[in-house]
Amino acid sequence: MLKLYDYELSGNCYKVRLMMAFLKLSYDRELIEFYPSKKHKSLEFLEINPLGQLPVLMDNDFIIRDAQAILIYLAQKYDSQNNWYPSEKPSLVAEISEWLFFANDLTATSSAARLHDGFFYTNIHVEKCRKKAHDQFRIFDEHLYFNEQQGFPWICKSQYPTIADIACFPYIILSEEGGISRINYPAVRRWCDRFKRIPNFIVMSGIFPAGPQKVPDNEAKQSKILNGN
Amino acid sequence: MHAEICEDTVILNQWHPISSTDDLKNHKQITTMLLEEKITCKKNSNGKYFVWKSIDIKKKLLPIKIAYGYLWTSLGTPPTDLFSFPEFYEIDRRNVATGVFGVNISAGRTIENFLDMGHFPFVHTGVLGEEPHTEVKEYDVSICETNDEILATKCQFYQPQAAVISSKGAEVDYIYRIPHINCAILYKSSPVDKKRQDAIIIFVQPVSQEIVRAHTGMCIIDDKSADKDIRLFQQTIFGQDKPILENQFPKKLPLDSRAETPIRADKSSIAYRRWLSQKGLTYGVIPSEDNNLFEVM
Amino acid sequence: MKLALSKWFPVASISDLPYRHIFQGQLLGREYAIWKADDGNINIWENRCLHRGVRLSIGTNEGFELKCQYHGWRYANRTAGCTYIPAHPADAPARTICNNTYTCQEKYGMVWTCETPIGDVPDIKGFKSFTVLRPIPINSAYKNVRNFLSSKEIPDHHMLRSKQTEFWRFKTNAGNLLSLVIQPQSGNISILRGIYNLKTTGTEKLRVLKYYNSLMTKLRDEIESQHLPKLHERNPKISKLADDLSQFPTLSDQKHNLRVSVSEKVKLSDNIVKLKLKSIKKQLPTFHAGAHIDIVLQNGLIRQYSLTNGPGETDHYCIAVKIEKHGGGGSKIISENISVGDIMAISAPHNSFPLLRNSTHIIFLAGGIGITPMLSMAKAMHSMRQSFELHHFTKSNDKEAFSHDFASFTNKVITYNDLSINQSLTTIKSLLKKPKFSNKIYVCGPGEMIQNAIKIGLEFGWNESDIHYEYFKNENEIHKNSTFKIDLARSAMSLEVPSGKSVLQILKENGVNLVSSCEQGACGTCKVRVIEGKIDHQDVFLNSLEKEGQNIMLTCVSRAKSKRLILDI
Repeated sequence: MLKLYDYELSGNCYKVRLMMAFLKLSYDRELIEFYPSKKHKSLEFLEINPLGQLPVLMDNDFIIRDAQAILIYLAQKYDSQNNWYPSEKPSLVAEISEWLFFANDLTATSSAARLHDGFFYTNIHVEKCRKKAHDQFRIFDEHLYFNEQQGFPWICKSQYPTIADIACFPYIILSEEGGISRINYPAVRRWCDRFKRIPNFIVMSGIFPAGPQKVPDNEAKQSKILNGN
Repeated sequence: MHAEICEDTVILNQWHPISSTDDLKNHKQITTMLLEEKITCKKNSNGKYFVWKSIDIKKKLLPIKIAYGYLWTSLGTPPTDLFSFPEFYEIDRRNVATGVFGVNISAGRTIENFLDMGHFPFVHTGVLGEEPHTEVKEYDVSICETNDEILATKCQFYQPQAAVISSKGAEVDYIYRIPHINCAILYKSSPVDKKRQDAIIIFVQPVSQEIVRAHTGMCIIDDKSADKDIRLFQQTIFGQDKPILENQFPKKLPLDSRAETPIRADKSSIAYRRWLSQKGLTYGVIPSEDNNLFEVM
Repeated sequence: MKLALSKWFPVASISDLPYRHIFQGQLLGREYAIWKADDGNINIWENRCLHRGVRLSIGTNEGFELKCQYHGWRYANRTAGCTYIPAHPADAPARTICNNTYTCQEKYGMVWTCETPIGDVPDIKGFKSFTVLRPIPINSAYKNVRNFLSSKEIPDHHMLRSKQTEFWRFKTNAGNLLSLVIQPQSGNISILRGIYNLKTTGTEKLRVLKYYNSLMTKLRDEIESQHLPKLHERNPKISKLADDLSQFPTLSDQKHNLRVSVSEKVKLSDNIVKLKLKSIKKQLPTFHAGAHIDIVLQNGLIRQYSLTNGPGETDHYCIAVKIEKHGGGGSKIISENISVGDIMAISAPHNSFPLLRNSTHIIFLAGGIGITPMLSMAKAMHSMRQSFELHHFTKSNDKEAFSHDFASFTNKVITYNDLSINQSLTTIKSLLKKPKFSNKIYVCGPGEMIQNAIKIGLEFGWNESDIHYEYFKNENEIHKNSTFKIDLARSAMSLEVPSGKSVLQILKENGVNLVSSCEQGACGTCKVRVIEGKIDHQDVFLNSLEKEGQNIMLTCVSRAKSKRLILDI
C-alpha cells in the first residue's frame, strides 16, 4: 500500500498528489502539520526523513524522500503507458531531468516568497526571491513559447505531459501568493490552462480548475422519438 | 515601497490582535508589524507580556490585553473593554487557534469575504457549498446599538455533507457577528449538539493598508476531532479564499456605493461598508468622497 | 499621456487567445481580460467583476460566457451583460449589469484597443503579409524604450523615416522589413511587439522568430541595464460604475426602441418559420434564458415571441413562429409579409419566465410551439453542464423543426409525435411520478396542457413553487367592470380606476411608465408589489401561492376586490 506524508498547502506534496491522481492510484494520507506547528521538524518525523522535508512516500517498506524522486519512482513503476517518464528515450529523460532541477530551484524563489508572505518566514530575503523567480519565469516563458511553435504543448519535446510538467506546475501556479505576477508570461499561462485540462487533474487550496473543454457535438447521441397512434 | 504613517485615529484607537497565546508559549520575544509599525513583544519569567514599538529606544509600553486566546495591543487610546465573546469561556468548548495567515489585501476585504455565503459553491466547492445549490436566501441584518455591532441572522446555506453521520447535503444555519471593525465571528449549528452553535472567528491584524495577518480560530463543542484535524480543515478553507482575496481590486475596501454592484445577498456587506463609513474610517478603505481611485492618467 | 488615450495600441497577439483561454493584459495601467468566444468574437473587458472587484482573468471562459470565479456570475460574449447571478437564481438580473468593455480590432496578427478611438488601427506601410514576432516585456517606462529605440543602431537594420511616430520601421540588409511598436503596459513596464513583413512557415518561421527573439531580448537587456529611475507607479486605473448600477432601478418605458433587420427567414417545417434578427447599429441587449421580445408588426400589431438563442449568442436574436392558418394576424403577417432585409421594431428582452439554475435536475415539458423558451433554457443548462431532460409533445409534421437546436444535446430530448390527450396525460404522469429534492418542472404549451401538468405534479406531491410555467396567452375572460382607487406609495399619487380601463392604462395616462408587454395577463412583465388591499387576480402568470399571498399583481388585467389598493411604485 502507498502512504503519503502529506500537507495540503505544500506545493511539493501537491506534485505527488497530482501524479497519483493522473495514474489513478489510491493511497493513504498521513497529514503532517507543516504550519504552524512545524511537525516536519519533530523527532518522530525526522526518524522518517532526517532532512525534515515533505513529502515522503512509503511503498510498503520502501521510503522515498523527495518530490522529484517520488515522481520518477511512481511514473516508472505505475505508468503502464510509459508517457510520464519514458525511460527508454534517453534524450527525453535528459530533458526531463533538466526541468526537474529547474522545478527544484523554484522552491528557493517562488515557493520561498510564498512562505514569506503567507506563513511569516521572516528570514527570507523576499525581494531577491521575487527577482530570481522573474528571471526563471522569463526563461520558462521563452522555452514554452518556442515549444508551442514547434508543436509541443508541454515542457519537454513530447506530445504527452511528463513528470517535468507536474514538478514545475505547483510553484508556477502559486507564484502570486508570493507576490510574483504572471502577467508578462503569456506562454506560461497558456501552459497552465493546458495542464489543468489533463484528465483527472485535481486542485489544491489556492488553485482553481480551468474552464470546460469543448464538448464535442458528436457526444450527443440519437434522440428518442415516441409516436402516438 | 515607502511606509506611510498611519494617522487615522479610528484605527489607532482600536485593540488589535498581534499573536495567539499558543504561539507565544514557545517564544520569549517576538516581533510583528501593526499599522506599518514594527512591534516587539517580550515575556518575562513570570509569564507577563510587555509590548512596545521596536524603534522606541525608551521602550514605552503599549497597552495590552489578553482575551479570547490572543494578545491584543493598541497604538492609540483603546476602549477599556474589548467586545464580548462569552462562548469562549464556556467550559465544555474547545478553543483552537487554527493559524495566522498573511494575505496581501486590506482588512475590510478580508472581513467582507468572511461574511459572504454566495461564494461557498464556487470557492469552497464540495466543502461549504456545491453547485447548483447556490441560492442565498433572505436574511436579516441589524446594527445592535447597545454594543455597536453588526448582526446578520437567519442566514441559511446549503452545505454538502453537512452532518457527520450522513453524506447528504442540508441547509445549515449561520449567524454572523461583526463586533469590531476588523473582527468577525460566525456561529454555525454544531453537528454534535443541535441546540448549540460552534463559533468560528477571524481577527484581522492590519500590517498595512493592503496587507493583513488573519488570525483564525474555532470555539467548538466537539470532543472527537483532534486539534490538528480542525486546524488542517480551517487551513484548507482559508487557502481557498486567499487567491480570491489577493485578486480583488482595488485592494482597499471601497466605501463609495458607486464602486461595486451589490445584490440582496450582500446585505451584510452593505451594512458593514456603511458602518465603517459612519465611523469615519479611512485606513485600508477608499472613503466614499475620495476620487483618487478614479484618476485619469 | 492624454494623447495616448486616442491612440491604438496592441494588447495581445492573436495567438495569445487559444480556445477557451482568458488572457490577462494591461495598457496604460488598466488591466484587461481578453478572451475569444467560440464564435470567434474577441472581447476586451476591464479585468474586474463589477460585483466585488475580482479579476475576471482568474475565472473561466465558458465558450460564450465568462464566469467569475468568486460568485459564479456569468457575463455574455460581446455585451458583457450579466446573464446569471447564482445567489439569486429566481431573478433575471433586473437591471442590465454590464462590465466595462473596450473597443477591439484585429490587425497584423495582434489585438488592438484604444480608449477613445479616432479612426481605425493605422496601416503600416509594406506589411501586406507578415509574421508576428514574440513580444518582449521590458521593465522600463514607455518613454525610456522610445528614446532608446530612436537613438539605437540595430545591427543589419536601417531605420526608415516615417510620419507614424508610434511604429518604427527598419529595412534589413536582405531588403525585408521589420516594424516595432511599444505597448505602454503600466508606469514601468512596456512591451516591445514586432512584425516581419513576410509570411513564413515551418522551419523558416522558427528561424525568423528565434532570430528576432534574440535581437529584441538583447535590446531589452540593454534598456534594463541602463537602470533609469523608476516612475512612481500610480494606482492602476479602474472605471466607476454607471449611475444606474449604483441606484435603485427607475421605471422607464423604452418600449420597441430597438431596430433590427431580418437576416434569415427559414421554414423549419410546414407550420413553423424561424426568423434571425440582426441589430442595425447598436449592440443588442443581453438576454436571459426564457426571455421574450415584443415585435411590432406592420399593421401595428404587437406580438411576443420567446428567444431561442443559446447563452452568449449576442450578435442576433432568433425566434420561431407557428403559422396559425386561421389565427389572429400576427403569424400570418410574419409568414406572408416579412422577408429578409426588412427592418423591424422590437423591444428589449423581458424575462418573466426565469430559469432557476439551482436545481439538481429540470424536467422540461413543451407542447407544440411552447418549446421556444425551453430551447434557450436547455441550451443554457447544457452549457453549464447541468442535468435536464426535455420532453416535446408535437405533431409529426413539425417533429424535425428544432433538430438543429437540439444538436448538441439530442440524447436529453424525447419527442412525442401525435399523442392523443389521454396518451399525453399518461406520459406526463409517468414523467412526474417521483418528485425529488431540488428538481424542478418547467412547462410551456397550450393552456390545457399546463393546467394538466400542474394538477398532475401537485397530485404526485411536487411543491407548487417547483412547477414553473408560461402561458402563450390568457384564455380567461377578463372582467373590467369594477371601480376602485389606487395609491402609489412611492410616487405619492392617488388615482381612480374606472370600469373598462386597466390599472396599467391609468398608470400610463398619469405618466407612470411601467414596462409592460403582452397586456393580457400572461407574460408577467407589468407585475408590481401590492402593499395593501385585496387583489382580484385575473392573470395566468402567478401561481396559486403567489395569488393567495396577495402582495403581487399584474396591472394589465388584475383589479381590486377592496375599495383601494396601495402599490409599491
